[in-house]
Amino acid sequence: MIPEYSLGLFAAFATAAVAFYALVRETDDLHRLLLTDLVEIVTLAFIALVGTDLAEALILPGLVVGISELIALSEIYRVKEGHIHPPRKGLRIEVMDSAPLIMAAILVGYGIVLSGFPGGAIAGVGVIFYFICRGQHERFELIETASGYSWVLWIVAFFTFMLFPQYWFCAVMLAGGAILVKVMAKMSLIGAMRGGPNA
Amino acid sequence: MNGVFILGLAILIIGAVSVTFARPKTYLARLINLEIPGWGLLLIMLAYDEGLALLTFVAVTAIATFVIVRVMEWRDAA
Repeated sequence: MIPEYSLGLFAAFATAAVAFYALVRETDDLHRLLLTDLVEIVTLAFIALVGTDLAEALILPGLVVGISELIALSEIYRVKEGHIHPPRKGLRIEVMDSAPLIMAAILVGYGIVLSGFPGGAIAGVGVIFYFICRGQHERFELIETASGYSWVLWIVAFFTFMLFPQYWFCAVMLAGGAILVKVMAKMSLIGAMRGGPNA
Repeated sequence: MNGVFILGLAILIIGAVSVTFARPKTYLARLINLEIPGWGLLLIMLAYDEGLALLTFVAVTAIATFVIVRVMEWRDAA
């Protein structure tokens, strides 16, 4: 009987070899970008095979670095190839005109009720959906300013926990609200990726 | 050694081969084939109970698809 870890390691090495072979043979840049994603997936399998909390702790930053790398590379590719004209709006779907307002309202409302990090994520999804469907003409410096102030409030709540533990409830509420605004502001930037006056 | 783990490894290998030798070799076909090794990795994570990593991977894959489709859109517009 072959041990589980050895078998997994063998499979992971085989897939990594296939992925890197494809990357070496490829000449088209956008195909290379797609293959970079494949390499990321198969090399994450190496870490996942460890199968402990350590693996989980290593996969999370790996994923975050992977997505930021992908965004940066795609922007470099776009500028390098000289694609500076934003794509025309080709597809008209009626539900994308009528649904965003109520969907965003429900998601943001539920996110505020949840508060904290998950609440920020849910409210952020609502904002992304709205921006993608309706287009955005907001001034993003304003959203970034709100994000900065909410970060300060989060730190203030942290110090309240340390110095005045008797006011813990106020600090919890402050931290929950502040991280909600922070995460929502950061996620709403994704909705601006289709290009626009301020993107 | 459980079935989910073996299935995950098999799908990972099949997916890597299908992305490498995609037919027809278009961007969209490769992007769709990329979901297959993603599923393999998800099953491996599931076999080891790495829930948080699994959920984050799902979210990151969604954003990655969005980024790549956006690049393809800009490319077609040019």
